[in-house]
Amino acid sequence: MKKNKQNLRSLLTLIKPTPWTIWLGFLGLVMLTALGGAILVFWNGLWITHLTDLVPWGLWITIDLSSVALSAGAFSLCAAVYLIGLKRYEPIARTATFIGLVGYSMAMMALLLDIGRPDRFWHSMVFWNDHSLLWEVTMCVCLYLTVLLFESMPILANWNWLKKNFPKVTAIMSHVHHYAPYLAVAGLCLSMLHQSSLGAVYGVLSAHPFWYKPEMSVLFIFSAVIGGISLTLFASMIASRLTPRAKVNDVLIERVAYFVAWALVGYLYFRFWDVWSQNYTYEPGRTEGLRLIISGTLSFNFWVGEMILGTVLPMILLLTPDTRKHPFWRTLALGLVVSGVVAFRWDTNLAGLMVVISYLPGPASISYTSYTPSLIEFITGSGVIAYGLLAFSLGVRYLQVVDHRLASGVHETVEVETLERVPA
Amino acid sequence: MTEAKFSRRTFLKVAAVATAAVAGFKVAQNVTAAEPVANGSRQWAMVIDQNKCTGCGYCIMACRAHNDVPPDITWNPVLDAGQVGGQEVFLPRPCMQCADAPCVEVCPVGASYYRSDGIVMMDYDRCIGCRYCEVACPYRARSFNWKQFTGPNPAVPQWGEPEVPRRPRGVPEKCAFCYERIDRGLKLGLTPGVDQDATPACVSICPTKARIFGDVNDPNSNVSQLLDQHATYRLRENLGTKPHVYYIPAEASTMEEGS
Repeated sequence: MKKNKQNLRSLLTLIKPTPWTIWLGFLGLVMLTALGGAILVFWNGLWITHLTDLVPWGLWITIDLSSVALSAGAFSLCAAVYLIGLKRYEPIARTATFIGLVGYSMAMMALLLDIGRPDRFWHSMVFWNDHSLLWEVTMCVCLYLTVLLFESMPILANWNWLKKNFPKVTAIMSHVHHYAPYLAVAGLCLSMLHQSSLGAVYGVLSAHPFWYKPEMSVLFIFSAVIGGISLTLFASMIASRLTPRAKVNDVLIERVAYFVAWALVGYLYFRFWDVWSQNYTYEPGRTEGLRLIISGTLSFNFWVGEMILGTVLPMILLLTPDTRKHPFWRTLALGLVVSGVVAFRWDTNLAGLMVVISYLPGPASISYTSYTPSLIEFITGSGVIAYGLLAFSLGVRYLQVVDHRLASGVHETVEVETLERVPA
Repeated sequence: MTEAKFSRRTFLKVAAVATAAVAGFKVAQNVTAAEPVANGSRQWAMVIDQNKCTGCGYCIMACRAHNDVPPDITWNPVLDAGQVGGQEVFLPRPCMQCADAPCVEVCPVGASYYRSDGIVMMDYDRCIGCRYCEVACPYRARSFNWKQFTGPNPAVPQWGEPEVPRRPRGVPEKCAFCYERIDRGLKLGLTPGVDQDATPACVSICPTKARIFGDVNDPNSNVSQLLDQHATYRLRENLGTKPHVYYIPAEASTMEEGS
């Protein structure tokens, strides 16, 4: 009886409303609602969404594209550390790798919702059409997810429970770190391929002149690298604000943020040129798509979300030493870059689909269609995002995913340090 | 690990060799890839005479019945194409059965493919429902099954009986020139385009004979002869999709006569 009471009390203290449990409860609630929504989608089919034959790709594909893009920090930073030799950034690459793993699994979830036959998802592995860019993307994503799993092994080995109960397993997992440079080469190749090919998925479609241009792939990979690195830094800084378990090295982050600033300068030039150069001639469909983002229904998203808040403002904030060194302004700037990349994906997908070009003979006549995601798309989409936030939060708490004080290069040192710091 | 066993140069070398190997493999594969249509075999095509089409929509209904298409999907719409000689002109739009079909190129699992007679087919059992083909098709010839089509088909039996299985939910569907009628007809020794039972349902039912079907690889076929005699056009030829549906444009003189 007494023991029972004690158990009950310990259970109560376990679910005592600390910020951490409230956060977990909130995410759990969102995910549970989304699970219900997902079951509805799988049970009823996609007609309960607002997707149509004219706009068959919507909110879910934006989440999918954005999670892949924002995972690009993993390959960029791993390449910087293991191939270019910028060893001091290794702790940040570690954070990026974990975010990449979470991001790609989010993309898989969003895709599973989006495809009409989720029961046949494995077909993409078995039946190959090597002429299809989507096939190439699928293959690369799956292979890269495997690479990320290996790259994350030493991180997952930090789990205390696993360390205590299966020390041999964690030892093997930590050992994978020795192959980091090889994995970085594989990750670089696979990521360069599919991050750019995601743009080419749109870029090869002559039926949609707004997308039909070679620079789509370059825009996609360029924005992915910037957005991916920004998300890594942003998430690290937010985590370090919220919990003492996350430790950042402000000097390192500031240096990478400075790189982001200059990359943004290049990106702004490229993106602006991309949009403006399409005005040289009238091309049916392309010009109308351009109008949608410059003065039409997507213009707020383009001008404010993508250009001013997503590119120009963070560029200024990160180029100016005072604001770059200030944690608040730096965090804000990096967060804005992330939302700018999401806005770019959303604009690009929709501006291409919303313009409907007639195939009748004679001068092409253009009409427009519209798309607003349905509640079920929002609910399930938020579930995917909540899963990502939960995975990252757990990573910060239990795997020391954000610990930028760790000595660079030598993983053995990492283990010793973590063992010393975490009280049993 | 402080002293790496491998230099950066070695990595770049390995990476370069691996990339070259993959690229080489791809090139080799492309060289061996066969042409969509083998020379000498049949190549089905449709000619639509806009002088004759009255926009009655019989073809829409026959298509729905013979292919068991749900009422909210049309494989073969008949569109308003303006006026010539004071008369309404119509444009029926089946699947173009392109020789360079964007839908076939983009399908990640190869569920869209070319038959040796040029028909662009859909393997509804392989399709994963990603809808890339639908986005890629310039003719909007594909419709997605957003929900399962259940219950009786209102077009049956008035307009014909279904000859193909109903498609499941979650895959896009499209016209395939009534391949099942062609195949069955050929087995029975019939000639598609000549014998009505071996010809696509929309062609067979057309009351004004505005649709003509046949083998363009056979110089004596009705379609080959029509293509010789008339100036024809194809939809969005600038995209290079090489459709196998040809249109004879409406002319003011014939349109006035017909009225």
